[in-house]
Amino acid sequence: MKVLIMGCGRVGAYLAASLDSEGHDVTILDIDSASFRKLAPSFKGTALLGDGTDEDSLRKAGIEEMEAFLALTQGDNRNVMAAQIAKHIFNVDRVICRIYDPLREELYRTLGLEAISPTTFFADLLKERLMRGAK
Amino acid sequence: MKFPKILVPLSGDGAGADKEAIELACWLAKEVKGKIYVVYAIQVKRSLPLDAELEPETEMAEKILSDAEEVAQARDCAVETDLLQTREIGPAIIDEAMERGVDLILMGTGYRKRFGQFDLGEVVRYVLRNAPCRVLLLRQPLVTDEKQ
Amino acid sequence: MYIIVVGGGRLGYYLSKALLSQGHEVLVIEKDTVKVERIEEELGSICMQGDGCETAVLEEAGTERADLLVAVTDEDEDNLVACQVAKHKFNVPRIIARISNPKNEALFKKLGIDVTISSTNLILEYIGQEVPAYPVVHLLELRKTKLELIEVKISAGSPAVGKKVKDIPLPPGSLLILVIKDEDIKLPAQDTVLHADDRVLAVTKIDTEQDLRAVLAGS
Repeated sequence: MKVLIMGCGRVGAYLAASLDSEGHDVTILDIDSASFRKLAPSFKGTALLGDGTDEDSLRKAGIEEMEAFLALTQGDNRNVMAAQIAKHIFNVDRVICRIYDPLREELYRTLGLEAISPTTFFADLLKERLMRGAK
Repeated sequence: MKFPKILVPLSGDGAGADKEAIELACWLAKEVKGKIYVVYAIQVKRSLPLDAELEPETEMAEKILSDAEEVAQARDCAVETDLLQTREIGPAIIDEAMERGVDLILMGTGYRKRFGQFDLGEVVRYVLRNAPCRVLLLRQPLVTDEKQ
Repeated sequence: MYIIVVGGGRLGYYLSKALLSQGHEVLVIEKDTVKVERIEEELGSICMQGDGCETAVLEEAGTERADLLVAVTDEDEDNLVACQVAKHKFNVPRIIARISNPKNEALFKKLGIDVTISSTNLILEYIGQEVPAYPVVHLLELRKTKLELIEVKISAGSPAVGKKVKDIPLPPGSLLILVIKDEDIKLPAQDTVLHADDRVLAVTKIDTEQDLRAVLAGS
């Protein structure tokens, strides 16, 4: 699968390397070149300097051929904007967007974005672990 | 030092701090045949227009003010009361102080704890920082078995 | 009208000042405590400290009774989200977003933000490309008063170039509020001279907007 990831933080870098090792065609975008140091040395995909909320940067990163786009920067609003560009301007098939704020996640889900809140996701996971241990 | 015009903003907490503040203000004002101005401000949420009619709040405020008036009259002190409706209480008190040209703002406050710490509260802090005149803060004594 | 302005930077400040002076109820939502204090000092208790993109903050701001929300932070993505939350969560009837990157105009339109204003937008580029052409950007229409707030770009061929404000034959009921030159904003005095590429914020009666456009932007 051809995948474009925006934001080379811990999650972005890990996911990029993981997909890459499984043979997917991965491009990762970040506005700070220093963040690419987080990529595993074995990463064979493309790392590009660029702003994922800018249409031209996305075009340069090849978004028109992408089958999936993931918005994983630290900023909820940046992710929301980039994801909407990918979905509504470039018609990427699969767009996933990280939104920390649960309320915003809920809203954008109702607006048709595939949004995931690590906040609620992780809290639920912790709770599940805790309850399982309690038995 | 003389304080012929004293502004007493009420917190409306009913904990006695307001009453003591009025009593002290009367005592200070009477000495110079002065007058006290007692105000109570209703804070209006942004979800409502500023001039919204707030039935229960207004009723409660009027009761607080008439009680205050009684306290002052019982001490034979000239008193005027005013009910304000505002977005932020601190600035409303300062505006009132400027408009009336008072010599002193006298506020009563309880001993409040918030998150386990003593908390002066936003309004008192604002008044202390911005008042054009002298400010006297009358804090309630510590209650040993205070829960929150 | 109850108007919420998200972002208390310079544009937000001047916009709020202008709106207040026209008798509107204005609330500015700003993250930065220092900016909040500065605005409250100048304009009174019209500020709320918080993130205008957050549902909880907008709820506290009484957004559901707002007639208009204008998002003018420095970040396009924040303006987009503030507007979308206002529109879809609180059903605010009119929303306006500031965009810094002119490329975002199409995106915002597509996402249902009907009006965008752009501080760096080279409005002249639109002339001739689209009908109607816009050397004039409508910022606000104040229906009851039949007034509107517009941004006019002074083109090189404008009759106002090189003239002092007092010598420009403004139609009655029109008022120049601000002159913006690059990043510099000033209140126009009688002796302020207008130059090409200046942008001017003006209030005008809706029916004399054409006349104002003629004297400021040229035909």
